[in-house]
Amino acid sequence: MGWFGMRPEAVLPLVNREAGEVICHRPTGPVTVGRLLGEARALAARLPAAGHTINLCADRYRMLLGFTAALLRGHPTLLNADASPHRLRALAEAYPGTYLLADKPVASELPLVLVEDKAAEDWTGPVPMLPAAQLAAIAFTSGSTGQPTAHRKPWDALVAAALAAAERFALRPSDGPPGSVLATVPPQHMYGFETTIMLPLQAALACHTGEAFFPSDVLDALDGLPPRRLLVTTPLHLRALLAERRRPAPLAAVISATAPLAMSMAEAVERDWGAPMLEIYGASEAGSMASRRTALEPDWLPYPGIGMGQGEVHVPGLGAVPLADAVEPAPGGRFRLLGRRADLVKPGGRRASLADLNRVLMEVTGVEDGVFVAPEDIERNPAARLSAYVVAPGRSAEEILAALRLRLEPVFLPRPLVLVPALPRNGLGKLTRAALAELRLAAATP
Amino acid sequence: MPDGTMTQTAIASGLTPQELEVARLIVSALSLEVAPEAIEPEAPLFNEGLGLDSIDALEMALAVSKAYDVKLRSDDERNHRIFASLRSLTAHIEKHRTR
Repeated sequence: MGWFGMRPEAVLPLVNREAGEVICHRPTGPVTVGRLLGEARALAARLPAAGHTINLCADRYRMLLGFTAALLRGHPTLLNADASPHRLRALAEAYPGTYLLADKPVASELPLVLVEDKAAEDWTGPVPMLPAAQLAAIAFTSGSTGQPTAHRKPWDALVAAALAAAERFALRPSDGPPGSVLATVPPQHMYGFETTIMLPLQAALACHTGEAFFPSDVLDALDGLPPRRLLVTTPLHLRALLAERRRPAPLAAVISATAPLAMSMAEAVERDWGAPMLEIYGASEAGSMASRRTALEPDWLPYPGIGMGQGEVHVPGLGAVPLADAVEPAPGGRFRLLGRRADLVKPGGRRASLADLNRVLMEVTGVEDGVFVAPEDIERNPAARLSAYVVAPGRSAEEILAALRLRLEPVFLPRPLVLVPALPRNGLGKLTRAALAELRLAAATP
Repeated sequence: MPDGTMTQTAIASGLTPQELEVARLIVSALSLEVAPEAIEPEAPLFNEGLGLDSIDALEMALAVSKAYDVKLRSDDERNHRIFASLRSLTAHIEKHRTR
C-alpha cells in the first residue's frame, strides 16, 4: 500500500529540512541537520552488513543518530527500551541478525555497536531518499507476556504521521519560526519516537536531548530552550510538575498522552502556566490518531488522513488497524472515546491485558491459583498500581515477586501481592467482581 | 518529632532517626508493603533491593520536595549514589534540607 496513492517504488526524503537547520539542542550546543547526517553516515559504515537494530540509547540525540544510520543501511529499528537479558534474547530469536546500538555497555551476548560522540564531516549534497515501503521501525505492544506483538512501520507510514502532526501542531516550515520540544517519555516508546525522533526529521522542530526526568530537570531545561517550546509528557509527569508550583518558561503547548488526563490537571496547565493543554490519542499499533484541547473540547479531532471506523482505524501507509477502544462519531468530524475494551489496563501508561498478566502469574513455580486486580481509580490516578491475590502454599510473596520481576516490566508488578489460602471462585470457576471486591476489603483489614 | 518508641525502634533496626523518618516518608508516599523499620539502610532502593521503578522515583521526588524542600535532579553527578540506598538518600536530604 502506497501513501496518498504513491506507487510502491516511490521514495521519500529522510529529512524534510535544510542542512543548516537545528535538529537537536544538546547540552553541548545545537546540532544541525548537516552534522546529524554526516555523523550518521560515519556510524552507518560501522554497522553490520545486514540485520535488525535494537537501539537502547538513553541520550535522545544518540537514539536519533542510531536510527538515522540504520535507515541509511536499510536496517529496521526495533523500538524497545527493555535491556533485560530475557527480552533481548527473545527479540534476537525473533529477528535474525539482531545487533544492539547503545551509548553505554550492555550485559548481553548480542553484537554491540557503541554510539559515541565522534567528529565527522558534515553532510553536503542532496538529502538521502528512502524507499517509501522500507521497513523503518517495529513497535511492540504488551510487554507483559514475554511474547510481544510486533507492529511494522514502513517509512511512508512514519512520514505521513509526522507530516499530519506537523500540520496539527503548526510545525510546518510555513507556520513560523521553528519550535523546540522537550519530552519526558523515552524515544523507544511509540509516542516519544513520533514526537522527538520523527517530528524533528520531518517538521520545523528541534529536540532537547539532555536529562528530563525529575520536575526540576524539566523546568530548568525548558528555561534553556528557545521560544515556541513544546512539552511532551504524560499525566504522571504533569502531576509532579504541577506540584512544584513553579511557572515554566512560556510554552506554545503542553502535550500529554499514554493515559487519560484529569480535567483538573488540564485546567491547571491552562490557568497556571498559560499554555494550551493538548492530548494525543494514539496506540503503538496505529501511532498518533487524533488530538483535542482537553479543557475546551470533549471530542477528538482525527489527524489529517486518519479515518476512524467501527473497531478499527484507517492509517495512511498502514491500512486498517484494530482499535483497543470503542468510539462513536461526534459533530464536526470528531469522535468521542467510549472507553477501553474490558480487560486492558494501563498502569504507568504501559498497556497490558489482565488475562496475559494472570497467565504469567500462573506460570510461576509453586503458584496454584492467582489473579491480578486493577484498583477502582486506575483510569484517574496516574500512579495507580495493580494488586495480585495468589495461592501458593510454601512460597513467600517475595519469592513470587522475584519470579515475576524476570517476566514483567516493573510497572506491572503487583503492589501488594497478597497470599491467600484460596480464591473465591464461583461454581463456574469464575471470579466475580463482587468476590474480588470482598477479597480486596479483607486484605485491607488486618 | 521522634518520640521515645520511635528512637528505640530505629536503634533496634539499625536505622538512625533521620533514616527512619525518610523510610516512613517513602513507605507512605509509595504505599509500600514493608515496615519502614524493615528497610535495609544499605540495600539498593531500585530494582532488586526495594524493587522501586521510575514511577516511584517521581513520587519520591514529589514527597521529598514537599517534606524537605529538597529538589532531586538527574543531572546531579552524584545522582546514582544518592539513590543507591536509604542511607545515601537520607544523607543527601540532611545536607540540602531547608526545613
